[in-house]
Amino acid sequence: MNKENLIDILLELSSVAGVSGNETAALEAVRSYFDLYTDEVKLDRFGNLIALKKGEASAAEKITVALVAHVDEIGAMVTKIEPAGFLRFTPLGGLDPRVLPGQRVVVHGKKAIEGVIGATAPHHLSMQDREKSIPVEKLFIDTGYDADTLKTITGVGDTISFGQKPILLKNRKMITGKALDNRAGIAALIFCAAELAGLRHQADICFIASLQEEVGLRGAVTAAYGLKPNLAVAVDVTHGDTPGTDDKKTYKLGAGPALGVGPNFHPSLSFAMQQIAQEFNLSYQVEPIPAHSGTDAWAFQVSREGIPTALLSIPLRYMHTTVEMLCLEDLVTGSRLLARLAAKVTNSYLEELKKC
Amino acid sequence: MAIRDTLKKLTEAYGPSGEEENVRSMIRDMLNDQVDQIFEDNLGNLFAIRKGQKLKVMVSAHMDEIGVIVTHIDENGFLRIAPVGGISPRLLIGQRLRFNNELIGTVYHEKLKELKELDWPKIYLDIGADDLETAKKLVKIGDLACLDQPFKEQREGRYLAKAMDDRAGCAILVEVINRLPAELPHEVCFVFSVQEELGLRGAKTAAYRYEPDFGLAVDVTTVGDTPKAATMEVSLGKGPAIKVKDNSVLCHPLIRRFMVDVAEKNKIPFQYEVLTRGGTDAGAIHLSREGVPSGALSIPCRYVHTASEIVDKSDLDYAVLLLEKMLLSSWPQMEEINLR
Repeated sequence: MNKENLIDILLELSSVAGVSGNETAALEAVRSYFDLYTDEVKLDRFGNLIALKKGEASAAEKITVALVAHVDEIGAMVTKIEPAGFLRFTPLGGLDPRVLPGQRVVVHGKKAIEGVIGATAPHHLSMQDREKSIPVEKLFIDTGYDADTLKTITGVGDTISFGQKPILLKNRKMITGKALDNRAGIAALIFCAAELAGLRHQADICFIASLQEEVGLRGAVTAAYGLKPNLAVAVDVTHGDTPGTDDKKTYKLGAGPALGVGPNFHPSLSFAMQQIAQEFNLSYQVEPIPAHSGTDAWAFQVSREGIPTALLSIPLRYMHTTVEMLCLEDLVTGSRLLARLAAKVTNSYLEELKKC
Repeated sequence: MAIRDTLKKLTEAYGPSGEEENVRSMIRDMLNDQVDQIFEDNLGNLFAIRKGQKLKVMVSAHMDEIGVIVTHIDENGFLRIAPVGGISPRLLIGQRLRFNNELIGTVYHEKLKELKELDWPKIYLDIGADDLETAKKLVKIGDLACLDQPFKEQREGRYLAKAMDDRAGCAILVEVINRLPAELPHEVCFVFSVQEELGLRGAKTAAYRYEPDFGLAVDVTTVGDTPKAATMEVSLGKGPAIKVKDNSVLCHPLIRRFMVDVAEKNKIPFQYEVLTRGGTDAGAIHLSREGVPSGALSIPCRYVHTASEIVDKSDLDYAVLLLEKMLLSSWPQMEEINLR
């Protein structure tokens, strides 16, 4: 797989809908790629997609490495159809009310219908109110339909995804669009699976597209328990560098993936990933995280009797907006690093990790 | 016993999170010989099992209610308190609180400049003690208390009480257990759980122990039918609610559809619930072990987490009917779940 393939994959994955709790369309797109690069693809009881690439180790020596990225994206849910035909909604995941008015959305009712998030025009606002962001409860979706027609198509509890189409920027290095948190992680897993075709590996590699991360790492809780991996790496996004942010809390686009260090991660595994990056001349950044990483790594680490867990993050600008932006090079580098790590894991390697 | 009487008995019982034993023994007495197996676990959850074929269904309602805990006793015999569960200090002013030994106290606040200063450090509990010595004979640090309000029938079919959350759920389970026939298509484990108000803690261990194929919580939900309420399409008296989401769970689409099918087939009115805050036992059950497809049946309830929670009898009756019919139906096949 090359960078051109990766562009196509990312553009497709960013376009498909997969709001927490309604990830089916996104999962189908993801599944089509894992069907190509892995031996076996299944859904677990929770609905997480698990793609297995078998390793060379004998049954007695069997080891499982889990590489997990969440497939769900933030969105919303219908709470009410107003008599005038406007839809009220509540967030699914961490929506930022400041960036909602003016967005195009898709309401996933009996059929998918398009709409826009409307708000009072500035002409009708007091000077004071113009300065404030509008709380989500006051926003509404306009689909053009009247209430009676709407009720035949949608109702309370239907999910709403964003309609922003992704684009490859003219520098051909960066992509912007919705849901790159965390389709970037999913794309990295797909790229990694393809990379592994050219590498020998002892361990069974399980690629997990987890559900409902944005509402509380829920899919990861059950996936970790069900899979019982010997080692896990969560692949997610972290904050990219933008004007006005603290450069100690953001990571440069194009400077490689960020590798998490801190209590959420197994110290020697975090260190080993940095070593592997150096060994193969792959650029990386170090991301200190003092507590909860806010990623699937948090759920994996304390599953059953504990799983050595690490985190690899793709720097991403404008997180939780519909114009999230990443640099393709970070994704390629990150995927290669994941593949090199996966290929290295053996029983004795695991024993070594535990010693430190 | 009519559901009204069950509800009166259960709502008036003392049972803040962590001290559910009165409620538990009451429910145990009500169930008597109605189930095949009845036992408690290490946390105090009560399991009542009706044997059946094929799959295992866990139905959970929590016994605990919100309350307070004594944190300090001053030299004049006044108590300072902290919340147990999501209880607002503003709603306690002038309320009576009851300890497990029937001791009654009332809550008031220190002199305030503005009402918005009112918070836990500013309120105290007066138990009628004149000094530290007397107070210490009546209570000790760490004692719990619950709200003290009698059950009332406001008008015919409108019930008002403390702890409707979730004794209403418990009453529904008791009623359904009484109505179930001898033969069931699936095994059903009714769990009367503890410590839901502190974070679904009882349901977590109960689900781990029972390992169900499906989970269902029966709990109350807030409504949007009161003056200038937050947007919510659930009203009192329009039927039980089938939960879509709250902050603890996105209910499994197949369970939701199953509930809707059973309701429609039996002409039971229902509403869809999208609750923007709070959680229920289904939140813990659905994440147990490898995941348990779960749903929730909710009783519309006004003024949840106050001393005067209101439910409508028709919602309770329809909830009983819906749960009964669900337990007599075939639940979705595991293959369907896996193919989703």
